[in-house]
Amino acid sequence: MRWIKPTFMALGLAAFIAAPVSAELDRLSDEDLSDVSGQGGIYLSGDISINEEGGPIDNSYFGRCDDGSKKCGARFANQLKEGGGWMVLDEIRGNFAFEGLTLRVRSVDSGFGGDGEEFNGDVLEVGLPNVVRYNDVRFKIAASNQARPTAPGFQQTDIFSVQMQGDVIMEGNMLVFPTGNP
Amino acid sequence: MMMGFRWRFISGSIVTLVSGVWAVMPVYADLQQLDDADLAGISGQSGITIDLDLEVGAKQLSYFEDGNGIHLEDFRIGTADAAQGAAGHVIKIDVEDDASLNLDFLVDNRRIEFQNVTLDGVAGRGMGGMFFDHSLDGYLRISSGGAISSAGTTFDTAFEVTNGRLGYRTNGNEVFLDDITMSVEALGITLDEVGGGLEFKVPRLTGSYEVGAIRYSNNPSNHGNSVDVDSGRLLPSYGSLSGDYDLSTQLNIVGGGRDGTEGFRLDNDTVINSANFIYSDDGNSLRFRDITGGYRFNDLRVDVTQDWQGRQALGLTLGSLEGDLAIGGIEMGSDGDSIGQVNLDFVFEDHVYNGQAYSNALYLQGGGHADAGPQGLRLAAEWSLRDADLAYTEDGNRVIFSGFQSWGRGDVTVNVTRDEVINGTEFFDGLRIGFEDLKAGYRINGLRVGDEDAPLQGGTELLLALGFYPSYEFDLDGHVTLGPGGAEGEGLTINSDIRIRNGKAAIIAGPYDEGNGEQAQKGLWISELDYDAHVRDMTVDVTEDGLAIIKGEAWSTMDVGNLRVGDKQSGKSFGRFVLQKYETGSSMTIKPGGAGAVCAGGMGSDPAACSGSGGVWEERGDEGVTIALKQIFAKAVSERRKNAFTWETNRRTSGGASVNGTGTQLVLNDIYTSDGGDFDGDGVDDNTFGIQTELSVDVYQTRVVKKSDGPDAQGVVGSRGDEKIMDASAAAGYRYVSSPSETQLKDRPLGFAVQARSRFKELSIGNIDLVHPVGGAQTAVYGVKMQNVDIKANLTATPIP
Repeated sequence: MRWIKPTFMALGLAAFIAAPVSAELDRLSDEDLSDVSGQGGIYLSGDISINEEGGPIDNSYFGRCDDGSKKCGARFANQLKEGGGWMVLDEIRGNFAFEGLTLRVRSVDSGFGGDGEEFNGDVLEVGLPNVVRYNDVRFKIAASNQARPTAPGFQQTDIFSVQMQGDVIMEGNMLVFPTGNP
Repeated sequence: MMMGFRWRFISGSIVTLVSGVWAVMPVYADLQQLDDADLAGISGQSGITIDLDLEVGAKQLSYFEDGNGIHLEDFRIGTADAAQGAAGHVIKIDVEDDASLNLDFLVDNRRIEFQNVTLDGVAGRGMGGMFFDHSLDGYLRISSGGAISSAGTTFDTAFEVTNGRLGYRTNGNEVFLDDITMSVEALGITLDEVGGGLEFKVPRLTGSYEVGAIRYSNNPSNHGNSVDVDSGRLLPSYGSLSGDYDLSTQLNIVGGGRDGTEGFRLDNDTVINSANFIYSDDGNSLRFRDITGGYRFNDLRVDVTQDWQGRQALGLTLGSLEGDLAIGGIEMGSDGDSIGQVNLDFVFEDHVYNGQAYSNALYLQGGGHADAGPQGLRLAAEWSLRDADLAYTEDGNRVIFSGFQSWGRGDVTVNVTRDEVINGTEFFDGLRIGFEDLKAGYRINGLRVGDEDAPLQGGTELLLALGFYPSYEFDLDGHVTLGPGGAEGEGLTINSDIRIRNGKAAIIAGPYDEGNGEQAQKGLWISELDYDAHVRDMTVDVTEDGLAIIKGEAWSTMDVGNLRVGDKQSGKSFGRFVLQKYETGSSMTIKPGGAGAVCAGGMGSDPAACSGSGGVWEERGDEGVTIALKQIFAKAVSERRKNAFTWETNRRTSGGASVNGTGTQLVLNDIYTSDGGDFDGDGVDDNTFGIQTELSVDVYQTRVVKKSDGPDAQGVVGSRGDEKIMDASAAAGYRYVSSPSETQLKDRPLGFAVQARSRFKELSIGNIDLVHPVGGAQTAVYGVKMQNVDIKANLTATPIP
């Protein structure tokens, strides 16, 4: 079983916490919460699978997963230069499950090395699930000359593949601070 | 004794009703003696038989109160077959052995109508006209002695209504219930004088009804016709209705309105012993089964008066209204499957929200929308729903949305309109419901699971899955026009233009009252919201599957001035967000039944395979709701009609407010779906698949584990990994258990279980720009294409333990 550190998830969340929003992973005990009465919020558990049996396209490139001659994963292509090639995440598939992802608003007026008292406001708290179970999550990173693999003259170079299997330990909370100038 | 009369009777009278005055003018009457041939057709019986051809006409029928008048214009009772002519009546009168008076009546195709309602001091504007066509066959027995004293009166009646039509008409357009049949029985109705007023008691009122069609006409030549008089075609229909009821009710009427010395006051107490209501569309039905409950309104005053803006109106002002309603099943689809049960408790009464007092009042005025013509209805409305609990139960699991409050004040207009543009205002075929400067809001205090005595907890955010904010305040303008006919045959066609300003909507919301009085709600807020939404030719049909909604064309701009954390007005902001949407041919189908059997957290089509993959096999039952969505995002056709997302920060401020467009922006421009190619050869990529999403929602028990050692927010102690188990004997309503037994597992907390599947063939973003207020837009990404996506999810959402 391979273990992936929480920093992996932090990278994944980087887009969400882009400036001017700042974020900090902080494990909040239930005692800390005991003086926070009646806050709203939800507790989420479940599993998500991507292209478990294939996607909705059936053509010369995409097909069902039991057809070895075709790709059955999802494809994500973006063009970073006008008229240039495409960076591609291809054959995206897999399943992951989690238990106890929470979302709520929390007041911060102390702690954080004195910064909390200065901040003295409300933040968005994402309570991380203790364990995220990955089941055969995989994708390829590639470069292509076309966005659509069915376009004439399509060429693609696969750079490397990623496969994830096992449990990720994700403890604590992610706090999203609204601190910039809106 | 036998007597026979035929009266051509156009009647006039002045009747004092309570403390107001009704006046009819002009008056004229005609009495004709039956000839011998007419008399020969009447067999010898005891009592009196009156054969009456009745036509009553009055240019104006008026009610005056405290010097203010309201007038029914062009009032008429006559035949429904023509604009003029009498309606046939046969009334047999007998005096029974107990001295009661028995009236058997037979009425043939009668119309009662007025063509306008006007108010004193309001020139050129009226509320529109109404007509009621019907044939009647029944009896009325009147005997002495009421429920309280011998001076009262008792009535027994039963009758059948056939050939019924009930219509509302403005400016030559009309909407009417067509082909009404109804049977009614009310025995032992008593009328007594109590406290200077009248008291009606109806110990049991039973009946059933059918409405063959709800029709619309935009041809001024039509008036209560099922078929267009010019084309000969059947008028389009919204669908049909049917139902039955068993009620008991009491009504008290006394003199004295809210204003002045005249007017009247009504108090009512009604119990719904049973009722059913069915809406049908081309043979498919939406059924509300086994309805029970009751309501009581207290101190409803009726005055001819002025509203809060000093406009002349018929005022209905309410002391309070409280009641409860239970719907035993909401069924739809050809298999009769049920979504579940709904229970509602409510209290309307005066209350203060956000420091402002609201009451319950409705002021009826003439005119409707200013451009729609001289006839229409304007309702200056104010409401205060102080407290309501809405419970949803499916497969025995109940969630209660507790402490629902709503308040508002503003104008609602009602017109029957046709497709046309008048003074720059676009109107559509149908019943137009307009909103003008309507300032309103609602909020929910929290959730209770199991029963109404369970502790209040958070989790109203779960409603977001159904597109419902847990708290929302807004200023509303615009209209919704309900046209006849669905995608095929009967149904509804909706055209709508809605503008919301100063909106404050919660994505996450804490309670507004934890038992210590009202407090500011904390949460994540969409604030300074300006929302502009338009829908064209959206059809709504009941089908074999459920309720099908197909959008013709829809575009909207949701401009969130600030996304705030904490307080909705003063909380710190993440910045401004703008979401533009442009859809063509999107659809939604609401089906009864939830996810059924589910492998949560694993894969497998049976319990063994599911368990083997690490999942939990769940039987979520037959009830619940499934929503199938198809969203087709069209390519941009203009700056207003496109799909785009903008995030703006670092705006300049002016007068303390951020100025939109002065900051730095991240723009995802021209987002659209596609089938991935031009397969029909028309030179344009096909776009028929869109994003297809199916959401199955159940109320179901779910595993909730404690995430750390020690007491939680409610002070309940447990260890990390312990399961939350509901326990009514515990102070907080639950406790933590390290290894729950099979019995305890049945008391896992309830939440919403959502099984979702979302698929699309291709989703594109034209470009992603970074916009600087001085340097302008720089493109960061020149195109994004996501293809062949199929995402499945099993999620359970519960309030935070």
